[in-house]
Amino acid sequence: MTRLHSDPGLQPERTALSWARTTVAFLVTSAIFLRWLPHYGLLSLVPTMLAAVAALAIYLPQRRRYAQHSRELEHGGLQADPVAVIWMTAVPVVLGACGLVLMASALSEQLSRMR
Amino acid sequence: MTHETEARSVGSPDDPPENAGAQGANRGGAAEDPDRGWLSRRLLPDGEDPDPRMTLANERTFLAWIRTALAFLAGGIALEAFAVDVFPSPIRTWLAIAVVCIGLLIAAGAAFHWLRIERAMRIGGPLPLPAIVPLLGAGATVASFITIVLFLVE
Repeated sequence: MTRLHSDPGLQPERTALSWARTTVAFLVTSAIFLRWLPHYGLLSLVPTMLAAVAALAIYLPQRRRYAQHSRELEHGGLQADPVAVIWMTAVPVVLGACGLVLMASALSEQLSRMR
Repeated sequence: MTHETEARSVGSPDDPPENAGAQGANRGGAAEDPDRGWLSRRLLPDGEDPDPRMTLANERTFLAWIRTALAFLAGGIALEAFAVDVFPSPIRTWLAIAVVCIGLLIAAGAAFHWLRIERAMRIGGPLPLPAIVPLLGAGATVASFITIVLFLVE
C-alpha cells in the first residue's frame, strides 16, 4: 500500500478517525432513540432515522475525504469546510428539537389527564 | 516591516500579504477568491488559509464537541426511556429536557467556536478560549446536584 501523504503527524488518519468516532456517536444516539418507540410511537422513528442517515452520510465519503485530505496536505489547497460544520451542527440540533417536542407533548398530555 | 506585520495581523484585504502561502491563491483577497466556495468567502472573509494541519485540528476539535453534544442528547433520551422506575414521570421528563437542552447549547457553541478559531487562525490572531467549557462544567454540576436532591427526597 502506497502512502498518500508524508505527514509524520498522520493528520489525515486522525481526522478520518475523528469522523469515524462521530459516526459511532450518531449510531448510538439512533439506537437509544429506538428505545422511545414503545412510549412515543412511530413519530420517534423520525429522529432514529435521521441519526442513522447522518451516520451513513459520514461513513460513505470517508475514503474520499481521507484521500482528499492526504492529497491536499501534500500538494496544498486544503480549505476549511464550513458545509460539513453546518450540517454536522444542524443534525444534532434537529435531533434535540425532535426529542424536546416529543417530551413536551408527553408532559402536556400528562397535565391534561391530571385535570 | 512593522507596517506589513500590522496589516497582515488585521487581515486587510486591500493589502495582500507578500507570501500568500503555498497555495498562492490569495491575490484578489480571500473574500473574492473564486477558488473558495461561497460559504467560505462569506464566513471566513479575512486573512489567508492557515497551516492546513491547523485547519484539520480545528475540524477534529469541532467534531469532539459535537460528540459531546450527542452524548448529552443520548443521555437525556436514555434518561427518559430507561429511568422509568427510578424517577416519577414529570420530574424525569423535565430532567431529560434539561439534559437535551445542554446538548443543544453545546452543539451550537461548537459551531461558533469552530468559526472563531478558524477566523483567528486566518488573521494570525490569538486563539479564543472555549466559552462552552464553563457551561459544560456548570451543566454537569447542576445535573448531579438535582439527582442527589431527588434521591434524598425519595
